[in-house]
Formats: sequence, structure tokens, C-alpha cells
Amino acid sequence: MNLVQAFKMAWKSIWGKKGRSILTILSIFIGIAAVMTIVSVMEGMKAYTREQNAAMGSNKINIYIYSNVWDEHGNNLGKDYFPDLYNYCNSLSEYIDGVTPVGWLDATVSYGTKTSANMSYQWDEEGNLIGDRPPTLHYGSDQYSNCNNLSIVKGRDLAWLDMENYNQVCVLGAQAAKVFFGSADPVGKVMQVNGYNFEVVGVYGSRLTDENANQSQIDNLIVFPYTTRRILGGQLPTEYQVTVKDSEMITEMISRIGGFLKGLIDRNQGGFDVSSNNQWQEYENEQMTVIGLVLGGIAAISLLVGGIGIMNIMLVTVTERTREIGIRRAIGAQRSSIVAQFLVEAGMLCGIGGVVGVAVGTAGSIILGKAMFQMTIYPPLWVTVAALSLSVALGILFGVYPAIKASRLQPVEALRAE
Amino acid sequence: MRMAGLIELRNVYKIYAEGLESEVRALDGVSVTIDRGEFVAVVGQSGSGKSTMMNVLGCLDIPTYGDYILNGTDVRELTDQELSRIRNKEIGFIFQQYNLIQNLSVLENVELPLIYQGIDPIDRREMAMDALDRVGLAERYRHKPTQMSGGQQQRVAIARAIATHPPIIMADEPTGALDSRTGLEVLGFLQQLNREGSTIILITHDNGIAATARRIIRLADGRIIEDRVQEVDWL
Ligand SMILES: Nc1ncnc2c1ncn2[C@@H]1O[C@H](COP(=O)(O)OP(=O)(O)OP(=O)(O)O)[C@@H](O)[C@H]1O
Ligand SMILES: [Mg+2]
Repeated sequence: MNLVQAFKMAWKSIWGKKGRSILTILSIFIGIAAVMTIVSVMEGMKAYTREQNAAMGSNKINIYIYSNVWDEHGNNLGKDYFPDLYNYCNSLSEYIDGVTPVGWLDATVSYGTKTSANMSYQWDEEGNLIGDRPPTLHYGSDQYSNCNNLSIVKGRDLAWLDMENYNQVCVLGAQAAKVFFGSADPVGKVMQVNGYNFEVVGVYGSRLTDENANQSQIDNLIVFPYTTRRILGGQLPTEYQVTVKDSEMITEMISRIGGFLKGLIDRNQGGFDVSSNNQWQEYENEQMTVIGLVLGGIAAISLLVGGIGIMNIMLVTVTERTREIGIRRAIGAQRSSIVAQFLVEAGMLCGIGGVVGVAVGTAGSIILGKAMFQMTIYPPLWVTVAALSLSVALGILFGVYPAIKASRLQPVEALRAE
Repeated sequence: MRMAGLIELRNVYKIYAEGLESEVRALDGVSVTIDRGEFVAVVGQSGSGKSTMMNVLGCLDIPTYGDYILNGTDVRELTDQELSRIRNKEIGFIFQQYNLIQNLSVLENVELPLIYQGIDPIDRREMAMDALDRVGLAERYRHKPTQMSGGQQQRVAIARAIATHPPIIMADEPTGALDSRTGLEVLGFLQQLNREGSTIILITHDNGIAATARRIIRLADGRIIEDRVQEVDWL
């Protein structure tokens, strides 16, 4: 008997016993789909936690550099370490998203008749903001946007040359642009900052997705090259922030930057401190371990339950099939023909169940991910492969093993099965 | 010493639970020779060992002791593959419970032994339809066995047994579940096949049917207590 025959026979058998075939396919597809969905949801939870933690700043490194060289008037004579830090961090761009000084300035910003000096605002009883709120003013590097999840929608971002040349330029946050310019294009306009002219070179997009964006201060900001403090006043920057791509690299980056600063800063002139929100980091790691354990456990149990289901449905039909094997043997089927038929049959059933299971599992993951975490979650490949191969292996094993056993019986014994 | 027959049992035993208290000697030293073209009825009380003997003769079972020579070869020496081939080509079985595969159609059931012979689909279908035609069920080839009466199912089983044109046909109480009229119909088929040259071995409870066989072997407690040839008129 050839393979084509085995396929035809298996197909007849599957089709002829639709009820049993559907049960088998069902038990396989439910096993696979359940495992894939559960693990995906767990993975989604993990990603969600990671995102939340990132929002809490667990991928930020805070650097503090101070100088203890003062003149007789109490002015700090320290040198600007930022260019060196900037170059070093850029050499690690594989791990680091960006580095920027952290600093605020207190200044009056105005354009035309609008000035931050006499803006008034209040909240009504529903918590809606009435009036204009003065923007917060930040000193930053050209990587301020990278570090703060901002991206340019109009004009250009700050550039390193702006730092070097003390350019009197600034970039507006989405809300700040609205406050000063309404719907007009701010790019190229000149604003007054403490009376000095600053050209608006760009506008950042909003970081808020909901319609209440104008309620929040988060996009109401203006960023200036940190070197313009020479004009606008203020101390040398002492605080810097590094944003790391993967929060798992935090510890490694802290030690590398620490090593670099050690070589850079003369002990007699100043000192430094590199740190991160470490408690978050540790908490996160702990959380991930627990989630990982739960995930593995649930996946294992689901696979086990699914596997037992498959085993069960395959074994339940054995006596019925034993008699059929007896009949086939009595009219001349070789053992190998019997085994081939059952192998192909189990393979087809498992294949159909597997494909349906993977499809439903993927759909379930995407739907649940959207509903629970507002993310698009695809089931991890390892789960798909593990669930699929285990189910198919169990299905084939328990579909074929009894057939092999029955085909070894004397035909008369197989025929006697009720 | 005379030539070996087509079928020859030499001092065959089939013993269940040997050596135990519950030991059953289903065959207790049976020796018999059946020649080509014979029509043999095997009779005896229930439990006398008729089915056991038939199963041994049909290579569905192996004796505990003794030799079975089929067509000059000792069956004991044959591999499972060769035994399957013999069941497939040399012997056609008709069982009391029909033993059709329920989820296959009538035609597919009849085709089954031909599939295992490796006959191509077109010839196979023609041979199966011929066999169904002979038992008068050609128009019902698409039905499922469950949609048919007992007599019709047994005729399908006969079609399956004769589809390969085997030289030997063995029937274990083929009329047991049928009324006497359909039983006689089935008997008619067997007689016709015998006229065409097939060797027929028929187990029966029915004395009337046994009376139509040229040779009657009577079993009791696993032994042959009578082996007699008689004149019959249907030839
Ligand atoms: N698998 C078995 N295990 C134990 N004893 C068996 C087995 N098969 C048959 N026997 C016994 O062997 C004896 C012969 O059985 P067999 O089926 O050959 O009888 P039979 O003549 O065909 O009877 P019937 O007319 O009822 O079909 C019986 O006593 C039966 O109980
Ligand atoms: Mg019997």
C-alpha cells in the first residue's frame, strides 16, 4: 500500500467519523490556543510592567558633577564637563538613547502682547483649566528630546552647534506653541526671554494622546541650549540625565560612566555621583522573576492538561479501532499498512488542530492584549513552537501507539474487541 | 503416503490458560485434510471448537501445538507479511457478525481487500462492482452498512470475500443471524462459488444447511467425532 492510499484511507476514516475527529481536533486546538493565550497575556503583563517602570524612570541614570573651585565673590569657576560626558555617552549609543543637562530657568517669556509675566489661569469645578499657564523653561542639550520622549513635528530640533555657538534659539512643546501662537506656525518667530531675542526653531509633538492635552503641563515647555545660561544667567549645570535603552543595562552603564568620570575629574577640583532609581530597578527585577515563574508554571500546567486531553480522546477510541484493525488484518492488511494509516490519520488530525490552535491562539493573544493592556501582543515563538510540537507529538504518539499494539495482536484477538 | 491436500491440520491443539485450573482445550488434537474444490460443513455444539478451527485454518490465529500445512507450506514458518498476503489473496472470510467497517460505504468495504493488494483504483472499482453485482447489491454501492438489513450486510460481506477471487472461502455461521429464506440465499451463493471451483468451508448450526454439504465434520469438545462424505443433489 502506498502513501497516497494511506492518505485516502486516513481521510475516509477522519471524514467517516466526524464526531470523533472534531473532538480530537478540538482537544488539540484548545490545548494550543489556551497555552498561547495565557502565555501571551503574561508576556503582555510583563511588557506592561516594564513600560510602567520605564515611565517611572527606571531607565534613567542621574549624574551629579560638582566643582569646588570658587572665586572670592562666591562664583563657581568649575569647568563645563558636559561636552566630555556628551562625547562619551555618544560613543555608547548602542546602549544609550541620549544625555542632557537637567536644569530649569526662571525667566519671563513673551511674544507680542503675550507674556508669561501676566498669564492667569484657574480650574473650574470640573477640573478644567481656564486661561493660559506659563510654560516651564528647560536647559537641555540636543538630546533633551531623546531623553524625554519628545519628537519634532515642525522645524528642527536643537543641535550640538547651538550649544557650541551659544545660539539664541529654542524649541517649543506642543502646548507652549498653542499658548503663544495659537494655530499660527511659530517656526522662525522671535520671542523675548528676559528681554533677549530667541528664535523659535522647532515645535515638539504632543506626548499626550487624549483630548485633554491642553489640561496638562507636560507639553507646556520650552527648551533652550544649556549654554545660553551665559546670557540668561544661572550656575553651571551640575545635574545630568542619561536615558538607557534597556533598563537591564542600567547597572552596567552606571559603572562605565562612573569609571569615565573618575578619569575625567580632578579630585582636588570636584567630584561626582552617578545613580539611578535603584529601588525601582530591584523591585522590577524581583517582579519579573515572579511573573516569569508564574508564567512558566501556568504554561506547563496548561500544556499538561491539554496533553492529557489529547491522550484521553486518542485512547478512548482504541477499542473501537481495535476491532476495525482486526477486520482490516483479517482481509489482508499488513501491519505496516495499519500503522501508516493511523500515523497519517493522527498526523492530519493534529495538523488541522494545530493550525486552528495557532490561529485562534494568535487571535486570542491580540484581542486580549488590546483589551487588557492596549498593546498588540503576539504570542512568543517559543510558546507557539512548544505548544504545537507537544500537542502534535502527543496526538501522534497516542494515536499511533495503540494502533501499533493492536496490529501486533493475532487478528482473531483484535476481532474479539468489543 | 498420499499427497498433502490443500489444507491439512496435523494433530493441532489450541489451549487457553494452559496448565491452569481454568484450562480450555478449544482444539484437542485435530487432524484433518481438505482438498481443493471440496464443500465442507463443520458442525457441533456451541463451544465445541468450530470457530477456533476456522480461525486457525484462516491464519487468523495460530495453534498452540501441531502443524498447519496450507498449499504445501507450513504456516508456522511464514512471516506476518506472508500470512497477511495469504489472508488477502488465498482466503475469503465471511463472519457471523458481517464485520463490515461501519464508516465506509458498501463499495469501499468491498474494495478494501483489493486496496491491500495494491490494485489500481479503476480496476479495483470494477472488480468490487462485479462482486456487488453478483450478490445483487450493485445499485446500493454508496450506502453505509448501517443503512442495510442483516441479510444485505451479509451479502456485502460475501462480495468483499469474493472480490479477490480467492480459491478458499471460509464462512463462520454466515446464516446464523439471518432468517431461513435469506439464509438459503447465502447458501446458494456458496454453492455457486463451489461449482466455479472454490473450496468452501462452512460452519453451521443448521442441520438443514449441513445436509447440503458433500462433507460434514462434526466436532465435540475440540475433537473430530465424525467426518463423513454424503451424496448431495445440487451439483
Ligand atoms: N480467547 C479465549 N479464551 C479462553 N477460552 C476461549 C477463548 N476463545 C474460545 N475459548 C473457548 O474455546 C472453546 C471453543 O470455542 P469456539 O468459539 O471455537 O466454539 P464454537 O464451536 O465456535 O461455538 P459457537 O457455536 O458458540 O460459536 C469454548 O469453550 C470457548 O469458551
Ligand atoms: Mg463459533
